[in-house]
Amino acid sequence: MKIVVCIKQVPKSDSVKIDPKTNNMIRDNVEGVINPFDKNAIEAALTIRDQLGGEVIILSMGPDSYMSSLRDGLAMGADRAVLLSSRAFGGADTLATGYTISQALKKIGDVDLVLFGRQSVDADTGQVGPIVAQYLDVPQITFVEQLRMIDQHTLIGQRLLDGSTQQVQVTLPAVVTVRAELNTPRYETPVNIQSSFEKNVDVWDEHDIDLDKSRIGQAGSPTVVKRVFAPDKKGRQTKTLNGNAKKAVQELLGQINN
Amino acid sequence: MTQTEIWVYVQTNQTSVEPTSLQLITKAKEIAVNQRVVAVMPTVVSEKLINEVQEYGPDKIITLEDDRFKTATDTEIADVLYQVVSTRKPNSLLIPATVIGRSVAPRLQAMLQTGLTADCLDVYFDGDTLVQVKPTYGDDIMCEITCPDHQPQMATVRPNVFKAVKQNNDTTIEKADFEFHPETQVKASTPQSIISSAANIGDANVVVALGRGASSPAIIEKARKLAAKLGGMVGVSRPLTDSDEFGHESQIGQSGQSIAPDLLINFGISGAVQYLVGIENAKTIVSVNTDPDAPILAASDYAFVGDANDFMDNLLEQVR
Amino acid sequence: MEQQNIMAAGMLHRMIREFTDNELAPLDMQIDAQGDYPDGLFDKVVNNGLLAITLPKDYGGAAFDYETAAKALHIMAIGNASMAVTLEGHFKTLEQILKYGDQRLKDAYLPSATHRIFAFSQTESSGGSNPKGISTRATRQGDDWIITGDKIMITNGGLAQVYCVLAKTDDDQMGVFLVDQDMPGFSFGKREDFIGLRGTPVGEIVMDHIKVPSYHLLGKVGQGLEIGNNAHDDARILMGAVLTGIMEHELQIAVDYSKQRKALDTPLYELQSIQEKIAEIAIARQNTELLYQHGAQLKLAHQSYAQVAAMTKSYGSRAAVRSGDMALQVLAGYGYSREYPIEHLIRDARAMEIAEGTVERMNGEITLKQINR
Repeated sequence: MKIVVCIKQVPKSDSVKIDPKTNNMIRDNVEGVINPFDKNAIEAALTIRDQLGGEVIILSMGPDSYMSSLRDGLAMGADRAVLLSSRAFGGADTLATGYTISQALKKIGDVDLVLFGRQSVDADTGQVGPIVAQYLDVPQITFVEQLRMIDQHTLIGQRLLDGSTQQVQVTLPAVVTVRAELNTPRYETPVNIQSSFEKNVDVWDEHDIDLDKSRIGQAGSPTVVKRVFAPDKKGRQTKTLNGNAKKAVQELLGQINN
Repeated sequence: MTQTEIWVYVQTNQTSVEPTSLQLITKAKEIAVNQRVVAVMPTVVSEKLINEVQEYGPDKIITLEDDRFKTATDTEIADVLYQVVSTRKPNSLLIPATVIGRSVAPRLQAMLQTGLTADCLDVYFDGDTLVQVKPTYGDDIMCEITCPDHQPQMATVRPNVFKAVKQNNDTTIEKADFEFHPETQVKASTPQSIISSAANIGDANVVVALGRGASSPAIIEKARKLAAKLGGMVGVSRPLTDSDEFGHESQIGQSGQSIAPDLLINFGISGAVQYLVGIENAKTIVSVNTDPDAPILAASDYAFVGDANDFMDNLLEQVR
Repeated sequence: MEQQNIMAAGMLHRMIREFTDNELAPLDMQIDAQGDYPDGLFDKVVNNGLLAITLPKDYGGAAFDYETAAKALHIMAIGNASMAVTLEGHFKTLEQILKYGDQRLKDAYLPSATHRIFAFSQTESSGGSNPKGISTRATRQGDDWIITGDKIMITNGGLAQVYCVLAKTDDDQMGVFLVDQDMPGFSFGKREDFIGLRGTPVGEIVMDHIKVPSYHLLGKVGQGLEIGNNAHDDARILMGAVLTGIMEHELQIAVDYSKQRKALDTPLYELQSIQEKIAEIAIARQNTELLYQHGAQLKLAHQSYAQVAAMTKSYGSRAAVRSGDMALQVLAGYGYSREYPIEHLIRDARAMEIAEGTVERMNGEITLKQINR
């Protein structure tokens, strides 16, 4: 089995602020961590590898600072990592990111399974997985909460829909995006932390991958961020429920049912 | 200039129309300046479902009828939508940010080579440009995103931010031709509906929490009933973890669990810091306490000063 | 390389923080009440490789340096001091085997230190601070040694599987020998019912004519007391780290409470009497951190660190007990309640005024050094 886990580095929780003058996000000095759902994807990959053998590769696209998240993936137990890093990839939206990643997956070659976290906790799109599946022309199972390999080529995933569950069986290769319910990601271990520095990390730019330059980075991104703003921060405005308990409950239900 | 169209993807299963789809029809009609609102609806053959959509008054319904939609995969749905969208070229396409919507939309986006904004909280038109408003980095920061040079302008929109309103309209219904391309490598089962069974209080959508001031066996019994009625779980503050009824797994707070339910109702909990940090992410907090100075009250959206038992009785009676 | 070490240390400390927050801190009160680690908890520590933090790579370890390991215990102790002390006992023992052990002994035993706890034991019922009065005997028999005796108050006694024991040879010299629980003649005695660090087992082993090969002797015959003292020094640095963690926990509780609790309309932290307590705890915490870091750095630089190690534990243990007392006073009635962890933090810290040499003994050592400088 060759399994690639696509990860994103996200700012550590709520450390992102907005510059009130420029309306840009202040990303300097923000500590980056692996997107939490992506850790579930890594865990799923490692579990399958432990069961069926093979190789787990961590793939990400971003600046050099993303190296720390690749290293975290290796310290969890992945075998090697690839970072797609270039100014030419900058400003990519999900379409350009999905294209670039799918081309990198083609270069890695013979990939049986591509795993993603269901979405990133910063941009919250969850779009790159299905886009990659489309570009690779392979099936997808999204929002998976249970996963099991029947044999080297067949996987059954249970996805959690809104209020229902669905069993989906696919023949590999395929793209799977996973929910947090799927598993509990293992910890990095002290020994694996040290050996993560000895594992192979390839850094590829636009010259290393077969790419249509018009489809990467800002040029390949149809969407534009027009404005970023902080909504009025509402601390909890406490509303006191008056009258007797009966009236208070009536008032409460009237309000929260709206 | 021909009139442009704003399309809404109507998600269906065999027996019902997904509610967000209807909310989006109403929203589309609200924001349309001169665009026609078109519902595009892959569905099993069912007059009932089409009639239901019609009640919300889109200008047009395009039905894509095939009984294989009962268990269609994301890719099959995206492929069928691609066939109609790519030939008719609507200005915009709104999609419910349901699991299915969020799985189909990006696949369709890649087929159409256009932009897609995920999980919008609002959309509006600036001329023919669809401005898509979405939260980012949690809900603390908002973005406005547009897709100036590509169409359709696609957005998935979060469920239940808009209300669906029925309205009369002279709706045209068109049954469109398409080819259903089965995805042979995939076998999908019919979705099985589930009743919320959060085994973990951290995942519960509703939590009824009890503290020292609401710890009698009678109250515990009622709290369990109330939680069952609301599809939630009972949690406790630290003092109650010593009782036989509750273990550590039910404890909310710093040394217990952090919870993030849509609704948290606190009874007899004073609101020590250790507790408050565990409930920061609850969406709506209701607290009942006899002490008007209990810190929990100021940390709540709704506060009631009074008897927990009485309040709980009334909730049990009034909640349907 | 230096950069890589810093990054690796950062990863280790984050991992320890996550592990502590998820696995240990939620059980802190339970561990104290139960007087033991709940089932499966120690297995998690083993399975996540925490026994191998300092172990050299040749033996399958992660080879983190002593300062990095001390910081790891500091972080762990914020959530639970007992488990941090369990690791302290293991790490200090490995240090002695690495420093004094025969290569055959290292090859035979150290690979198992990734999953078996190693313990160091000097104390007997005759008294802890009088190692010369011990009655455990090591008798030469051909190429082997025969060990007989009874050791008590061993950190991790019962949990550990391998023990380095101080014994007296026939010519009344001291030696340290490694015995394994699987050897014939080995048995466990009773476990102490201590008032603090109640997760950490402290117990007794009984050795009845255990036969070990000659290379199970650490160093040479006659080096026993030196090795014992060296083990104390190594332990004291790590205990300083644990005490820093305890004080950090005490500080957090006092700070959180003083922010939330109001006297009339004034938050507690605005009161000078409260400020004095919080500042003192913060200063003591910082001092102890600097002391253990300095001790570890001296050790890493192969300089003499016994004095600083003694200062670390002498100062740190008393400071942590006193800080706990001050934090208790900030919380007043709540602080005195068993619902809050402060009372058990005081009991935990109190153990380290005694273990690995009492404060009085260390102060004696410190004074002697000052007199003779």
